[in-house]
Amino acid sequence: MTGQLARHAPVLAVRWRAAATLGATTLVGLAAFLWPFLAQPGSGLAHGSDAPWLFVLLIALLTALVVAELSGGGLDAKTVAVLGVLAAAGGALRVLGGGTAGLEPMFFLLVLAGRVLGRGVGFVLGALAVLVGAFLTGGVGPWAPFQMIAAGWVGFGAGALPRASGRLERVMLAGYGLVAGLLYGVVMNLWFWPFLTSGAPAGAAFVPGDPVAANLSRYAAFYLATSLGWDLPRGVLTAVLVMVAGRPVLASLRRGTRRAAFGTTGQFVAGHGEGG
Amino acid sequence: MIRFEDVGVRFDDGGEPVLSAVDLQVDEGELALVVGATGSGKTTLLRCVNGLVPHFSGGTLSGRVTVDGRDTRTHRPRDLADVVGVVGQDPAAAFVTDTVEEELAYGMESLGVHGDVMRRRVEETLDLLGLADVRQRTLRTLSGGQQQRVAIGGVLAAHPRVLVLDEPTSALDPVAAEEVLAALTRLVHDLGLTVLLAEHRLERVVQYADRVVVVENGRVSSDLPAAAMATSPVSPPIVDLGRLAGWSPLPLSVRDARRVVGPMRTQLAGRAPNRIVRSVTMTGQGEALLSARALVVNRGRRPVLRGIDLEVRAGEVVALMGRNGSGKSTLLAAACGLLPARVGSVRTGGLDPASLPPRELLRRVGLVPQDPGLLLYGETVSAECRAADTDMRVAPGTTRTLLVYLAPDVEDRTHPRDLSEGQRLALALAIVLAGEPPLVLLDEPTRGLDYGAKTRLVASLRSLAAERHGVLVATHDVELVAELADRVVVIADGELVTDGPADAVLAGSPAFAPQVAKVMHPQPWLTVADVAAALAAS
Amino acid sequence: MTRAHHDPRLPRLLHPAAWWAWAIGLAMAASRTTNPLLLALVVAVVGYVVAARRELGAASPFGAFLRLGLFVIAMRVLFQALLGGGVPGRTVLLTLPEVPLPPGSGGLRLGGSVTLEGVLAAAYDGARLAAVLACIGAANALASPRRLLRYVPATLYEVGTALVVALTYAPQLVEDARRVRAARRLRGHAGRGPRELARLAAPVLDSALERALDLAASMESRGYGRSVHRDARSRRQATTLTLVGLGGVVAGVYGLLDGGSAPLLGLPLLLVGSAAASASLAVGARREPRSRYRPDPWAAPEWVVLASGAVAGGLVLVAAQRGVQDIVVQTSPAVWPTVPWLPVVGLLLGLVPAWLSPLPPLRAVERVGDSRVIHTKGIRSAS
Repeated sequence: MTGQLARHAPVLAVRWRAAATLGATTLVGLAAFLWPFLAQPGSGLAHGSDAPWLFVLLIALLTALVVAELSGGGLDAKTVAVLGVLAAAGGALRVLGGGTAGLEPMFFLLVLAGRVLGRGVGFVLGALAVLVGAFLTGGVGPWAPFQMIAAGWVGFGAGALPRASGRLERVMLAGYGLVAGLLYGVVMNLWFWPFLTSGAPAGAAFVPGDPVAANLSRYAAFYLATSLGWDLPRGVLTAVLVMVAGRPVLASLRRGTRRAAFGTTGQFVAGHGEGG
Repeated sequence: MIRFEDVGVRFDDGGEPVLSAVDLQVDEGELALVVGATGSGKTTLLRCVNGLVPHFSGGTLSGRVTVDGRDTRTHRPRDLADVVGVVGQDPAAAFVTDTVEEELAYGMESLGVHGDVMRRRVEETLDLLGLADVRQRTLRTLSGGQQQRVAIGGVLAAHPRVLVLDEPTSALDPVAAEEVLAALTRLVHDLGLTVLLAEHRLERVVQYADRVVVVENGRVSSDLPAAAMATSPVSPPIVDLGRLAGWSPLPLSVRDARRVVGPMRTQLAGRAPNRIVRSVTMTGQGEALLSARALVVNRGRRPVLRGIDLEVRAGEVVALMGRNGSGKSTLLAAACGLLPARVGSVRTGGLDPASLPPRELLRRVGLVPQDPGLLLYGETVSAECRAADTDMRVAPGTTRTLLVYLAPDVEDRTHPRDLSEGQRLALALAIVLAGEPPLVLLDEPTRGLDYGAKTRLVASLRSLAAERHGVLVATHDVELVAELADRVVVIADGELVTDGPADAVLAGSPAFAPQVAKVMHPQPWLTVADVAAALAAS
Repeated sequence: MTRAHHDPRLPRLLHPAAWWAWAIGLAMAASRTTNPLLLALVVAVVGYVVAARRELGAASPFGAFLRLGLFVIAMRVLFQALLGGGVPGRTVLLTLPEVPLPPGSGGLRLGGSVTLEGVLAAAYDGARLAAVLACIGAANALASPRRLLRYVPATLYEVGTALVVALTYAPQLVEDARRVRAARRLRGHAGRGPRELARLAAPVLDSALERALDLAASMESRGYGRSVHRDARSRRQATTLTLVGLGGVVAGVYGLLDGGSAPLLGLPLLLVGSAAASASLAVGARREPRSRYRPDPWAAPEWVVLASGAVAGGLVLVAAQRGVQDIVVQTSPAVWPTVPWLPVVGLLLGLVPAWLSPLPPLRAVERVGDSRVIHTKGIRSAS
């Protein structure tokens, strides 16, 4: 009934290979997002404008690998169906919020579902929900792999939060939602930043080869100027939704998981039928 | 073909065993009909056949179930997919893909059937179930009957030898149900398939059955249809009539019944059904609670209602009939302000419902939607009732009291989703009635209801009418209409085709005649109760 | 596959992978140049092919991608104008009021003079991204990514199925939400505000999860998951490949980021790693006996389309390697760009699919008056 459910019986256990893949993907993902700060002068990436494209391909490949590893050993029909239905809900919410700047109610579902179904499902769900949203709106663009992995992290993180229950749990999830919503924006902007401003080395632009601190402060300016207005509402919306709707939604997710009886095998006993 | 040996099933919730000491054998090529009240264990019995119980559901199974010699202990449902095909009640919930051809092929893809064979079987299945014209359509755009046939085709394409169907027609209108049943009987006769079929609406299927399996409180007995029906706890009107008249063997089809009905007709000759002619509109009494004048309503750009004139007055029960998609639900939606009138007008209690604020609206009209679950949000029945009291601004406890009256056996702590269909409907009705709206609308209330729940529903709606409520029920269920309605309104393609007293409309129409009327034709009897009353009086 | 599949006159849907490969080829070409004339040519080429070979019926996402591209150019120019740029420029177009910022704000400047050179550089850069987006939009329009889902490697089959389920179910879910919201009105609520959204969420989710269980039972009964028989050897191979791949990719990325390491270490490591990782996706489930219903054929037209994209991308790439003049346009001082012939020939070859690929069926039906077009249905039953 309470928050321990996910902990005791993870719907999707994160095995060592999956963990290793996830770890490596996270490293590469960090590099993909942070390379404007990490690349050293004179390194292979510092001067080309190809780095973002390279990372698009790499991240797409690695996201596929993580998802394959997480689902390794075969997802059973229940997990596939639940994942499918929740990803549909996430994708639909994404389309719903698409019209309004930054208001992305998908994160609300992602945080709660990650919490109830655990880290593994949280990651896969985040990635799938983004993809479903992209399919529904008719466009898979180069941003999709980055969004998938970032949303995957949001779901994963929700599944990895410490145990709590009742109001405390909701407050924790709301806080997490706020932070995750903001961080998601910060990270996603990083991907786009070099595209938008490379080659114009001043102001809020990325300057290949500049010291980290200088690039960082420029990114901060860029972020404040362009994105905070989108990300803050997203974080706040997620937090508000978790506080307002968290209880019934958590309850219905937990009820659903309980009814699904994930991982059950059923028993057979020999001999006579009951009362026979 | 299917063998249950001393089977018992118990789920992990610590309750009573759902099935116990079941011994059952269904031979190859038989169509076995499973009957029983809601909650009797029918679904569990069906799900044992391919091992969904207990492999998928959890729980404990004792004894042994074998299909075509394969034991469900050692074969999981997926390993039985080439022997048993399972089709559920809601076809749309079982679709994995989104076009007809892909859905038919899906099962075979999982089984690794070779491409050429798969292609051939899909073509065969399309012809067998009459789906060739819609082969490339998106599943969502198909009618209910077509969807159910695709669902059957989806399991059939893998060439199973047993087909298990859990209420395949209960969500369908009579025409669509007929399509599906015709397809099924063809499969049994042409392919020698063994079919195990559960169904509430026995009047539709009992005449096709080779064997009837009765499930009552987890106990299972099986017999030839006529013998089983003589003692079955649930029975269609024709069997009730046969029992009343003491016919032996019991007739199961209208054709059989008409052969033996002669003496009864002679006995009743010259009598009219002693139905209280309640239709107040005909006599001009009662205030008009709903009046539509030349009403046109659009869904999107498409006009669904094209100029409807209709009145519902206090104290009458009006049945709204017509095909799926003829505009019944749209009319109800317009009557409670969910859709605006495009041309013409609709008035509830003299005001336009679409312009009323929601809080005002529910004082005038209440709607129980097709899926009563839509009205339910609470986590327990008691929470739901308390929320309803607040929503309707009535004294605390009002809804709960109503619920006790409508369905005495509902427990406080149950989750609304875990209620049976009948209980859920009762809860939704209780919520709607808490606001004491003069006009009550119901959309397809008898979906998935067993005969017992239906009888209770009829009683509560009749007593509403007696208390001067107006009731408008959209339904396909002619047996319900025969028992319940004063007046019948038939719409087709958004236009009103017939509006008249129930007796005249039902008895006079081949499409809407209830079983009793068909048997007693040309005498105007509609229900077993009418006949019984007349016989008792004679 | 029948011989008829090789004939580009037989109307059918082209293999989605062919369209995506073609579009990626052109996108690669676009990413190599900042010449606005070449970029305009790229957009014109993909636009023409979309207009000629898109299947009728579904809404086209191509327009949305074009608009997004224009937005990118506008943003890019706006940033340049507001924040100034390091592009040395003498031609001042206008001077904005400069906002004084505290010292130590990292060389940030707000306002000031806007130069032609700066604006051009920004616009060219934006146009490059816009052209790439147009190529991807064209791929989306010509072959819905949903169709690519049928070709996910077997290791991703389960997740692919979940995605198919999600796409099938999403419209239903929207409909459910609408109905629940209508029903709220019946209980006296107007249905607005976050608290109301919360009220909607639980019932919609409840019925969604219930349906998921029905669906799972149906999948299980229809043999889902039956054919997963991975043997130990292929699993070990997959593990090894995964680990090698991950190691290679991580080391490769490090090599690329680190200025000190050998310059040629990064990229090769990265390539080897990526190859190993891709291979592990394929090997992990090589022994799946699952079969596929009516797979899209891969015949001559697919090769033609693929080659067209590859040649277009390749020629521009070669031109860029050779440093052909005005592949990268000079902006300071601003001059009118010339049109280098090699890339133009390459890009024009990208037009080939507009004639040498089969018409999609619905579009062919529309042209059925044309006697040369063979009706699809006739071919299907004949093949």
